[in-house]
Amino acid sequence: MNKDTSIARFFKLVVLILILAVSGWLLVSISSTITILIIAALIAYILDPVASYFEYRGLSRTQATIVIFLLIAVIVAIFMSFLLPLVVHEIKSIEQNLGSGASSAFFSKMETWITDQIPFITKENLALQEHLKDLVQNLSNSFFSIVGSMVSLITTMVIIPFAVFFLLKDGPHMKKGLISMMPNRYFELVLSLLYKTDQQLGGYLRGQFFDAVIIGLLSTTALWILQVPYFILIGLFAGLANMIPYVGPAAGAITAILVVAFNGGGGQQIAFVAIAFAIVQLLDNVLVQPLVVAKSVDLHPLIIIFAVIIGGQFFGILGMLLAVPVAGMIKVLSRELYSSVKHYSTLQ
Amino acid sequence: MPEDTMWSNIFKHTQKKERSTLSVLKKVPIFVDLNSRELRAMERILHRRTYNDGEIIFNENEPGAGMYIIESGKVFIKVGKAEKVLAVLSNGDFFGEMALLLESPRTASAVARGPLKMLGFFQPDLFHLMETNPKTGNKILRRLAQMIAERLRQTTLENSELKNQISKYEANSDE
Repeated sequence: MNKDTSIARFFKLVVLILILAVSGWLLVSISSTITILIIAALIAYILDPVASYFEYRGLSRTQATIVIFLLIAVIVAIFMSFLLPLVVHEIKSIEQNLGSGASSAFFSKMETWITDQIPFITKENLALQEHLKDLVQNLSNSFFSIVGSMVSLITTMVIIPFAVFFLLKDGPHMKKGLISMMPNRYFELVLSLLYKTDQQLGGYLRGQFFDAVIIGLLSTTALWILQVPYFILIGLFAGLANMIPYVGPAAGAITAILVVAFNGGGGQQIAFVAIAFAIVQLLDNVLVQPLVVAKSVDLHPLIIIFAVIIGGQFFGILGMLLAVPVAGMIKVLSRELYSSVKHYSTLQ
Repeated sequence: MPEDTMWSNIFKHTQKKERSTLSVLKKVPIFVDLNSRELRAMERILHRRTYNDGEIIFNENEPGAGMYIIESGKVFIKVGKAEKVLAVLSNGDFFGEMALLLESPRTASAVARGPLKMLGFFQPDLFHLMETNPKTGNKILRRLAQMIAERLRQTTLENSELKNQISKYEANSDE
């Protein structure tokens, strides 16, 4: 009898491992599609309160979704017609300028200084300009390959809005359908777990998104006033990078300072750029963060750093951006699950 | 024509089901102020659940998420370790409405008696309704508040009656 039980247990374990292995393999092989779906789901999730607001104004869910898409189309059209040509021009001119006279002079000055300070390093060993050129090329390649290399860019540009539309329109029905599949024993638990996670994570994710938009706008404006070249590109980067804690805010400032230095900007301009970024960070920490980012998902700095590293290892820049929200999601889910296990006798 | 008969049968069945659900919902006190359009919207929000005989709906002391309305079947409300039956609820009855406002532990257990069909209305659904359709949400909340106020009034009356009896008893024992 006991032997039979252990054989049955062993068989169950083997089946479970097999299922996990197959699911893992399946996940890896369709990871590009999953990434697209995750991006679409995140966008739909961030836009959900907007749809709810339009519903409150008397529109149906479908009408609300259509209105949101029309608004987004207008914003994208403005972006395409005004900003995109500027951004493309800025990217092209960065690559050209890296080989130009001003930056060459800067690099040779810097290399001479370094070789003077550290005698065993030669100029050939350094080749700073070449390294940076490679870096920028890699960076711009990876910038475009975030989504581009997985499926073709055009397919992605069609699939993501398409998925966002249906996830936004049918999201509540999908959620209800998912809950309805739960066995009676776990039904109430899953329902309240989803609600609590949504309450805490929704505020956090939307807060992060709006924080990035505000920081991007503030940085762009500051750099424009200080007449820093490629101000739109650096501003966009600073906004996006701000979502990566600790490293992000510094990355935006360093990029701007380096750009000023390459273009022959004086020490005064560099100091002004540094002060501008310090003011933006101060405003972010004192005003923006407390107002828009929910404090419910407080993660330990160590967890954040490891999450960012792991995210970067698996999915590159996109992984680094998504690492903190995903870590937050795991924390909220495990905390709620733990408290539910304590209270629901069905789980004990 | 056979096709017509088939389609009409399907639609007849759906319409009959809709009508029966609507008639159940109309009788629930917290929904009595809702018009037919709002009731149909509620029907889309509510969670339809089916239970087998003896299946536990919720256990005593577990956190409650909302209320249940019985479409068909019977529910035993039990309390304590001895599982003393407090009430037997059937078609059109509802229970657990306090959990719509307060996430406090359930004061009793609910168990299905025979095959059971119920509609669940939960706190997240009520809160979402209040955000997206405050007019309907307000109608439900007002009825809920009236129901709870009425219960409080009853409890206060019973309480004062008990106090009177105790003081009478104390006066008699002093004499």
